[in-house]
Parts: sequence; C-alpha cells; structure tokens
Amino acid sequence: MKPKLTIEDSRVRRRPGRRYLLLGVLAGATALSGCAATQNAMMKMMPASMKQKMMAKMTREMQAQDPWKGYLAAHRGETKPLGLLGGPVRVSIRQEGGGVFVALPDYRRLDPDVFGTPKLPRAYGGTPGISGVPPMARAEDDGHYTKLKMLSPFGDKYTVMADGRLKLSALDATATDAARTRDWTHMTASWKDKAGNVYEVKCCRMMAAHGLEFPTFGGVATNLILHGSSRIGTPLMPTEYTYFAFWGVGSVMKNGEVVDPHRLIHGMLTEYVRTTGYRLGFDKDITPTRLQFHLMVAPFKPDMKTGHFDPAPVKTGFRLPNGMPLPFWHVMFENLKIEARRG
Amino acid sequence: MAERADSVRARAGVLAMVILGAVFAGAPFGAPAAAVASAPGAVIRLTNTLAFEPKAVTVHVGQAVEWRNGSLLVHTVTADPALAANAKDVALPAGAKPFNSGDLKPGATYRHIFAVPGRYRYFCIPHEGAGMVGEVVVLPAQVGVR
Repeated sequence: MKPKLTIEDSRVRRRPGRRYLLLGVLAGATALSGCAATQNAMMKMMPASMKQKMMAKMTREMQAQDPWKGYLAAHRGETKPLGLLGGPVRVSIRQEGGGVFVALPDYRRLDPDVFGTPKLPRAYGGTPGISGVPPMARAEDDGHYTKLKMLSPFGDKYTVMADGRLKLSALDATATDAARTRDWTHMTASWKDKAGNVYEVKCCRMMAAHGLEFPTFGGVATNLILHGSSRIGTPLMPTEYTYFAFWGVGSVMKNGEVVDPHRLIHGMLTEYVRTTGYRLGFDKDITPTRLQFHLMVAPFKPDMKTGHFDPAPVKTGFRLPNGMPLPFWHVMFENLKIEARRG
Repeated sequence: MAERADSVRARAGVLAMVILGAVFAGAPFGAPAAAVASAPGAVIRLTNTLAFEPKAVTVHVGQAVEWRNGSLLVHTVTADPALAANAKDVALPAGAKPFNSGDLKPGATYRHIFAVPGRYRYFCIPHEGAGMVGEVVVLPAQVGVR
C-alpha cells in the first residue's frame, strides 16, 4: 500500500525543481532585513542544514560589523603601552560568606535605549551574545523589540547558593589594549549548592592584554562604563558604571577538581543593575550608589585565528532543575568589602 | 540617727535611679525594660527572594518586632535616611531615631522596640535596589501592654 501523500509532499515530489526554488526564495527572504515575522516563518520552514549555514553566514556578517575592529587593530600589537594617568590602581575585593545569586538561563528583555527599534536597530555588530545581538534574534511586538528569542546568561531568573566567598586582588597599571600588560588579577571565588557541592572559579594565570571584539584595557580596567550602549562587552547587560573589571584565563572547579581548565573569565564591580524581584534592569533602573560584583564564565571561547568567539558551553558540573547542565556561570556577590588605592 | 537613715534612704534612692537608668539605657530608645524580654509583637522573615515577610506589620508602642534571617543571604534591617540609596525607601515618624541592624548573617535575628507611634519604612542595604523594603505601623500603647 502506498503511503498517503500530503498536499505539500505531493507538490514537491511531482516537481523537484520547485523545491530548490522554494529554498532559494526562503533564503533570500530571510536574508532581507525588515519584516521579522516573515523571516521567522521562513526560518521555521527551512531544513536544519540550511538553517545552520545561514546562521553561520549571518554570524560572520555580524562579526564583520564589530564596532571595535579599528581600535583593536591599532592597539593589539603595542609592546610598550602607556600606564594609567595618575599611576596604577590596586584593588582588593572580598566576600566572607553569605549567599550568592546564580543566574539561570532566561530570555533577556531588550532595553530600547540600548537596542533601538526594528526600524532603527542598534547594538547588532559582533559575535551574537558576546558583543552584539542580530536583529533576527530579537522578538518584536507593535514596532518595538521585546526580548531575546533564545536563552542567555542574562535575564531575571536566578537561584541563591550558600557560602559565597570571594577573594580578589588586582593591579590596573596598563591603560590601553596592548600586546603586553603589567595588569594582573588573583581571584578565588566559591559557592555551595544544596547538596553541599562546592563550585569554584580561579583566575588569572594570563590576562587578556587585548580584546578580540572589544577592548580589555590590558586585562584590568578601572572607573569606566561597560556593556549596554558602551558596546564594550555584551549589550544584554545594562550600560553600567564599572569601578573595576578584569578579563583573564582561569579554571572552573567542582569539589576541588578542575572540571574546565582553560576558560576566559570576566569579573566586574559595578553599580547595582538589579531591580524589584532581582530582575535584570534596563539602563533607567540602575541604583548608582549600591555595588555588586559579577563573575562571568561565558559559554564561548575565543578563537585567536579568526579573532572571534565560538560557542563552547562551560563544564560547570551543575545541573538545572530540568536535568540539563548549566552551560555558564554568572554569579553575583553583594556583601563586599572593597579597598582600592593609587600606587 | 534619723539624719543617717535619711542619708541611707537617699543613697538607696540614688542607687535605684542609677539601676533603673541603666536598665532603661540598655533598652533601645527608652522602651520599657519588661518589653525587651517579652514575646515580640510581630515576627518578620528575611528571605532568599529578597523580601521581608510579611511586608507590613502593625504593633503597639513598647512592643518589639523581631526579624529572623531564614535565608542563605546576608541582609540588614535599616531605617536610616543617611544609609538609603533612595529616599522613598525610608520613613520615620517625628521624634523616632534611625536604626540599623548591621549585617545579619543566615540564621541571625534582630529585635527593635518601637517607642514612637507612626509609620516606619525600612530596607535591606545590599538589596534595596532589588526592592527589599518593609513597613512597620506603630499604634499608641495598649492598656496593659507594657
């Protein structure tokens, strides 16, 4: 007995040439900027392999739009970078117990001040999620962006874990991105889940002396604006005044064992960017006179050959309530003792 | 002899005043000493979801409110305009003095006796930005409640 054909199947079988024509039209329509609803519908109809190719092409196009390309090209080869105006800054940050907030995957709401509108989008250049958000990845309603279509480490969902400890000392000496740096950071951060497992992040055996898609200022930076509209780091975090930040290479551990040995780690001490219910605020929601320390081990790895980032889930060793592994650490410390001085 | 007895009585009186003074000084804001040891007029839990539960309570003058940190986080109970990031997060009735628990680690408790009637609005220093704000309404003293 012949299997019954649907109307759609029967058309494709009778006229195979039409199938490719249809795919070509779909691809063309999807690549066009503008009608996101049409793009979404087209994407849904596409075969997985074609979707993957299109995503890779789109990622390359977005990476080519990285706003910091020129700055980085001018600085990354500099072997004798200048120091900070006024001299180096030494920073010490500690938390000695109490809880931490561990971010869970969520669909980030999109701030119009950062992302613009579907007619005039902003903040799209760079590797999606790392330094830009492609318009196609943004949900829309009534002429406005609403939220990211995919899960990210930046959102409103979180869990609290016990016994949060942070011990960090650092030096910010080098001012700009460069080939060499005098900056350094020594950090150990740990926290404990309900079952008593201890998670730990140690950094930095090497500083990111220069950035790949955005500046890292020698690996340590003090007193500057990051994220959001600054386009330094992901725009999915609000535009935030940052008293201290570092980028370096370190390890992720669980119960004293290294579970992910070579990760790019980013930490920053910023003004308070959470709002009622611990929702991740928009730029207008920030509390300027309260501070929090963010620790980020992102689900990306730098590719020094291409100069961009590739997706690479972090082996955190922690499972979400649905059984899936948590592919990043984004942890907030909020009971801090902070010291800093010049010299 | 009578003079000596008067002197002893006077000294005893002074001593009693000193003791009473010390007891009252130990009680925050001059609240009756008996209230310190008695059961609180209200108990408020500090949570992992950054809330004071219940968010609002009502007690009478002379009664204590007890805050219990049942969370994994360090919180504070703070009604001090000088420590607020946002002026709307704190309110004290006229004549009431500011108070601040300092850091309350997980499992810690804090008590405050209210001596001035009115509406108090307080917050948690680390989580004020995340909306951790509560309210205590203090009514005049009840007859028999001292």
